Amino acid sequence: MEVGKLSPEYFEAVAVCELDKTTFSVLDIEEGDPVRVETIEGSVIVRSKLDRRAEPGVAFIPCGPYANMIMNADTEMTGMPRFKEMEAIIFAAKDETILSIEELME
Amino acid sequence: MGISIPDVVCPFCGCLCDDLIIHVDNGRIIKNEHGCAISKSKFLHHLDDRLEHPEIRDGDSHQTVELKTAISHCVDLLKNARRPLIYGLSSVENDAHREAYKIADLVGAIVDNTSSVCHGPTILGTQESGEAAGSLAEVKNRADLVIYWGSNPQFAHPRHISRFVKPPGEFIHDPRTDREVWVFDIRKSITATLADRFVKVEPGRDLEVLSALRALVRGHEIDVSEVGGVPIDTIRELAERMKSAKYGILFFGLGLTQSHGRHHNVDAAIRLVQDLNSYTKWNMMSMRGHYNVAGANKTLTWTTGYPFAVDFSRGFPRYQPGEYTAVDLLRRGEVDVLLNIGADPVAHFPKVAVSHIRKIPVINIDPKRNLTSLFAEVNIPTAIAGIECDGAAVRMDGLPLYLKKVMNPPEGIIPDREVLQMIYEQLEEVMQ
Repeated sequence: MEVGKLSPEYFEAVAVCELDKTTFSVLDIEEGDPVRVETIEGSVIVRSKLDRRAEPGVAFIPCGPYANMIMNADTEMTGMPRFKEMEAIIFAAKDETILSIEELME
Repeated sequence: MGISIPDVVCPFCGCLCDDLIIHVDNGRIIKNEHGCAISKSKFLHHLDDRLEHPEIRDGDSHQTVELKTAISHCVDLLKNARRPLIYGLSSVENDAHREAYKIADLVGAIVDNTSSVCHGPTILGTQESGEAAGSLAEVKNRADLVIYWGSNPQFAHPRHISRFVKPPGEFIHDPRTDREVWVFDIRKSITATLADRFVKVEPGRDLEVLSALRALVRGHEIDVSEVGGVPIDTIRELAERMKSAKYGILFFGLGLTQSHGRHHNVDAAIRLVQDLNSYTKWNMMSMRGHYNVAGANKTLTWTTGYPFAVDFSRGFPRYQPGEYTAVDLLRRGEVDVLLNIGADPVAHFPKVAVSHIRKIPVINIDPKRNLTSLFAEVNIPTAIAGIECDGAAVRMDGLPLYLKKVMNPPEGIIPDREVLQMIYEQLEEVMQ
């Protein structure tokens, strides 16, 4: 938080997907295991994080370079991409690696 | 012997908390009293992760250069650009805006601020339906019903509730009993756990819920069992309660502006507040994020007549969201030079826009290293306004506040406004 965009703290904060308890058991993963999030725009591997208040059907990735990989850039003539909602499919990706921000940008 | 500087304004979020006490000892900030966790981190870590020198790209790395060399390089890039974009401006103070607009006018650039990806749709909604305005002090003194819609202030504006909702006010003697807080959101956020009532809305269905509330406030019946995931009886009850409030305030965040419907959501919320004013007093306010994004809208409006997405290429300002907004310009591959001031589009834009940024020269003006600085052609470090230089900024309710300088910037580093002024003056010389 306000430490720096190239800091490990920023990576830890943005390379995550917050999921509910039921989704964890359906995907058969533990908190911290990588998940692959796929939308029509692309896919990205991020770390799973448990949100105890969350309910099945809605997952959350914070604004940042990982979310941007799967966002639609169409602004429908408003200037604003639809940052808040994309239909996505989430897969367990235990054997896959979460790219660093530098690797993600390549 | 250290000194304490009282009444310092925090340059982090749109709350612009103006009650900080900053303790400086031996040339370092050692304590931030009253600030939230983010504010404390901003002040105490202001020297971390800085861009230390002006630098110009050389192959895969950057070479440190003199400031005047970096400025000359910027001037060359801007002078020869056919479709330059000036973007950012929400985390710099008002005087820097003026210099940026002068550059845009001179070279025929497009100016867009970060509101195009935050509350730009709020402005579009306001242009459709009118602006409700009132101060945060009014909320504290009068509001007996506070709604946060698509907003999570406990995370993004950590002192918003503790400064304006929790304390007693002139007509709210005991906020625990005299004031109710509701949260409308698609998920139960931290703020929702603190609220008196949480209303869960299905993702992308805010417009329907707002429209149903409007219909019920106006006395119409709706022949459905639920709208947007909310039972109709609940919406009816909420509508009645909203009509019976003495003073209601609807704070709304990016949950409304960045989701399906965008400005139509804000438009519907404004119309709801207008309808409620037939019965009682209601107001609404956007939860502005960066500390001076509201200022960027104000200064651009009073300079050009338009709040964001302004094109100077014909020699006079033209406004068209969707056409002159940063994401659209980059997505279409129109821009050939990007002058980025106090923002990080590489971190925050969709990948198709980022991939165009990677193809063009970027002039990056910012105190700190960020993802955009990694790929910039020129990086020029600047002082952090509100910590290392003074300036003016605009709070989320439109109140301008003076940012204090509490200590000197690192040696050789000057404010954004002075860097931009140098670019402007040199451009003016070479373009005569």
